[in-house]
Amino acid sequence: MEEMGITPGSACQGCGAALAARLAFKALGPNVIRHGVPCCPDTVTKTPQIGTVFEGGGALLTGTSRGLKAIGREDVLAVGFFGDGGTYDIGFQGLSAAAERNENILVITKDNEAYMNTGNQRSGATPKYATTSTNPVGPKSRGKEQPKKNIPFIFAAHYVPYVATASVAFPEDLIAKVNYAKTITGFRIIIIQSPCPVGWRFEPEKTIEIARAGVQAGIWPLFEIQNGHDFKLNYKPKELKPVTEYLKPQARFRHMTEAEIAEVQEDTTSKWQSLIQSDEMGKVLI
Amino acid sequence: MSYEVMVGNKAAATACKLARVQVASAFPITPQTTITQYLSEMHANAEWDFDFVNVEGELSSQVVVQGASRIGARTFTCTSGPGLLYMHHPMQTTGSGRLPVVMAVVHRSYKGMQPDHSDLMSQEWTGWGHWYVEHAQEVLDSILMAYKVAEDPRIRIPIAVGYDGYVLSYTAEPVEIPDQALVDEWLPPNKPIPEVLPDKVNKATFGRGFGGEADPQVPWKVHHDAILKIEEVHQEVMDSFEKTFGRRYGNAMIEPYMMDDVDVAIIAMGTIAGTCKAAVEKMQKEGKKVGLIKLRSYIPFPVKDFQEWSKKLDAIAVVDRSICPGKGGPVYQRLRETLYDMKKRPLTLQFHAGLGGKEVRVRDFELIGDKTLKAVKSKKVEEPVTWV
Repeated sequence: MEEMGITPGSACQGCGAALAARLAFKALGPNVIRHGVPCCPDTVTKTPQIGTVFEGGGALLTGTSRGLKAIGREDVLAVGFFGDGGTYDIGFQGLSAAAERNENILVITKDNEAYMNTGNQRSGATPKYATTSTNPVGPKSRGKEQPKKNIPFIFAAHYVPYVATASVAFPEDLIAKVNYAKTITGFRIIIIQSPCPVGWRFEPEKTIEIARAGVQAGIWPLFEIQNGHDFKLNYKPKELKPVTEYLKPQARFRHMTEAEIAEVQEDTTSKWQSLIQSDEMGKVLI
Repeated sequence: MSYEVMVGNKAAATACKLARVQVASAFPITPQTTITQYLSEMHANAEWDFDFVNVEGELSSQVVVQGASRIGARTFTCTSGPGLLYMHHPMQTTGSGRLPVVMAVVHRSYKGMQPDHSDLMSQEWTGWGHWYVEHAQEVLDSILMAYKVAEDPRIRIPIAVGYDGYVLSYTAEPVEIPDQALVDEWLPPNKPIPEVLPDKVNKATFGRGFGGEADPQVPWKVHHDAILKIEEVHQEVMDSFEKTFGRRYGNAMIEPYMMDDVDVAIIAMGTIAGTCKAAVEKMQKEGKKVGLIKLRSYIPFPVKDFQEWSKKLDAIAVVDRSICPGKGGPVYQRLRETLYDMKKRPLTLQFHAGLGGKEVRVRDFELIGDKTLKAVKSKKVEEPVTWV
């Protein structure tokens, strides 16, 4: 596999998203056009890149894909590399519509759980209790009030061919998912949790540890949903690790009380049980 | 060639077919809606080999054609009023990207459903060519010419062809449809310029500005100069269009009508220029020396033409079918700016007519003509702005 990543590109030390780009685009190979909307980091691969307005990711991929068909170059894959803002929030309408039309495109979302390009403001992907620059802790605030949007299931509910989650701490799983996505057509999305040392506030050398702890605690489960129906949980430890192993090393959660941590633990365990049940049935009930 | 009685929106869809558009995308909005229906029917019936993407909003339709155009496909989109405003953001990236997209803008007012030119006028900063046309035949012909101009290597600028909603979009008139073979010869099927394909380039970034140029003003100047260049290429294209199809619209930038030996010119755009033609005929029969200069290209603006005409005229009445609230009529202001350096300047009068779809009648143009003649006689403009 050819190395497609650019070092250091525009990434900070320990950037999870740059690692996500390196792994995903290495698996994708050279015959792709990367599409970007404003996100962080941005300069990550040596593939040709097309950009557009922040809210235009889904439509831009659509245009490229249809254009490639029109000129007889369907061998080239239109790939989006968007952040959580470009996927969960400002870019959601266009991506949802592209999913509904089952456009022949692949979206790689590097989910660093806030608007890191502008300095760590809250997004729909920010988890509950996380502090961001727009969720400071104070007498009236305990960090973000709402849970993270369940974007993989939202895309699965469009009945698209392939939805997967991945983590930079599980590179074999990530690469296998990208490799599989390459073999099929239609709308595909892989959402990669990508820790951000600056925004999440941890030491840059801890990126993999934190990502791994998130998966092992069940906070960022690794799964695949095909055609909005077939479900597979890809990482099933006999026992989940406590959420504290994920939360404690990150200063964005430093203010959390024991009760708040217990609430996150309960919520995570409950959601994990649902995923285990879906995995046993091999399907999700959408 | 053949003739068909068709509405303006069908003329637009027919032009797409004749131009062998490869990727079209649109979102329905009154009064543009039936273009999306005609294109959907043409797609369903496989009338030619093209892709039509029915999107979830105008912003996406602009971005879809932007993407397909970047890959090298010939593209088309269309919208009206509020839909155009929603497209504003990606229109800028299409313009800055120098992508030869052609868009029909079926005029609809900001204020209400009826036509005026406030929609396209408000997009003057987006870096496109802006044309305004009068009748269904001109819709079809201008869209064909727009591709030839937009795709010219000297230009590579998207072009918006504006025509009034309802009066043109939903009103049927006889339209001459040129032979496909003749169009193919004049406007050859698109040859993609796949500069973005991975086997052609590496490490290239398109469509995003990250700064870092030695002089960050250069992209603005290059873009501006390319738009100014449209004037010359548009005139060449008009000449070759006439040679091939036997029709022309003035010198492309303007279409003077009964302008021999007149003292006064009325400047009008779009369908009301047609009404003005009738008024000018009537006025000249009555011995009033009033003619019409139909303005076809607002961006770029026909500076040289108006400077030349100003030498022969005592007064110019500008009919603006739009207004920038608190600023005024865009054509009037642009014209006055154009005339500022002339040694002899004709009087200029501003008329607002047809805003919000208000009907503009022949007698309204007679009033405009009379008022302007009166100013000529008294050698001064008593009332510079009139709401007709």
